[in-house]
Amino acid sequence: MKELIYECIYIVVPGFYKMCLHRKSKYENIIFLILLLFGLFFIIGRFTPTVKLIEDFVYRFSYSSLNLTNSVFCFTENFVNDIKSVIHIRYENITYKQKNQELTDKLRNYEAMVKECDDLSKLLKLTKIENTISVFARLSIKGPNEWYKWFIINKGENDGLYNELPVLMFNKKRNALCAVGRIIETYASSSKVVLITNPAYALPVKIKDRNINCLAEGFGSNLLRITYIPHYADVKAGDEIVVSELSSVFQKDTPVGVITDVLEGESSVDFKTAKAKVFFEADNVYEAIICVPETKICGK
Amino acid sequence: MWKIICNLLLYVFFSMIQFIFGKYLGIFGIFPNFILIVIAYLGVSKKTIDAQLMGFLFGLTWDAFSIDIFGIKALMFTIIGYLIGKFCGDFYANKILSQFVVVFSANVIYWLGFDLIHFIILGSESYMASFTDVSFYMEAVVTVLIAPTVFHILGMLYNRRAVK
Repeated sequence: MKELIYECIYIVVPGFYKMCLHRKSKYENIIFLILLLFGLFFIIGRFTPTVKLIEDFVYRFSYSSLNLTNSVFCFTENFVNDIKSVIHIRYENITYKQKNQELTDKLRNYEAMVKECDDLSKLLKLTKIENTISVFARLSIKGPNEWYKWFIINKGENDGLYNELPVLMFNKKRNALCAVGRIIETYASSSKVVLITNPAYALPVKIKDRNINCLAEGFGSNLLRITYIPHYADVKAGDEIVVSELSSVFQKDTPVGVITDVLEGESSVDFKTAKAKVFFEADNVYEAIICVPETKICGK
Repeated sequence: MWKIICNLLLYVFFSMIQFIFGKYLGIFGIFPNFILIVIAYLGVSKKTIDAQLMGFLFGLTWDAFSIDIFGIKALMFTIIGYLIGKFCGDFYANKILSQFVVVFSANVIYWLGFDLIHFIILGSESYMASFTDVSFYMEAVVTVLIAPTVFHILGMLYNRRAVK
């Protein structure tokens, strides 16, 4: 610290002394004064056209050379980035190749295991579990007055679809796939789907966790008419209905809807009727999921 | 003639460093003030006129590129060039501590003058605004720390020319 102070004193004092006494420095002082005046003139008259003109001139003079240099640096930067990208892609490619090799090996093992599993199943005479493949389709046509009757999807025979396949949709609130309808007509790249709410449709259902079988009939709205509920069955609003084992289209226990109202003694003495609200909302159905048995797809 | 060409090359080179490299090499917007170091070097090397003229030229270029008051940097760099040329002789130029002191003083003069002119022209709002900003101190520290290296390189350049 002391040294620093001494250093300051050594610099300031002789400098000041020199500045006062140095006679040779008269040109320096004159130039300084001229430049000082110029600087002050620029500051004071910075809004005047003359200073603006000087500013423009300096800018254009400096800009052209600096812009050229800047362009060179930008080009260099881009070039370096390109090289970096090439190296990065090369490394990525190597990694993916390794990953691909690993997955190929795993697939080979998997195929061997599947074959072994098939052989064992045959030997033990076990029923083979059928896997399904989900085909995602978008709605292409929906009748304005028949929203709860049918719609057409943009997937057809080319995607492995055929008649009688179940159509489901994802219910975000329930975080589950729920029944929508089934395919009744299939074309090359489109299919017609009849909804479970169609009055011509009847779906075997049951009350969830209670094994009470009944039938869900379409109503032409977002409500289903649940018929053939045994009179003794304790069914109340809020009970969930799912697809029963009797359905040949949907998998059992696929969610269908929820009972909103029970109408006792309306149709007959032995059975009662209820109304149920479907889980899928016809207004918001834009995408449908079709479950296709894997063997059918493979065999295509 | 050689001196003029050399100074022009110095001008182009350091303009490039300050105005273009600063954009790419600045860390958190902090980049050393190379122009101040060059002016300080010229001043310390008894090249007072060069220091003033180069300071004015550098300042004018910087002013043209910035949106600040036109002429403020030209004025400040001219004053710094003159003051350093007057106060400091080449007797102290080789000492690192002297270089630190000179460049630090140049920084302080620069920012004080800068704020003073701002205060006079724009009013009290901008008074001492630079000194409340952390980046100002960081920039000053970086400039001071890098000064000996730049002094050494410029010294080599000028001394070699002197030997030739």
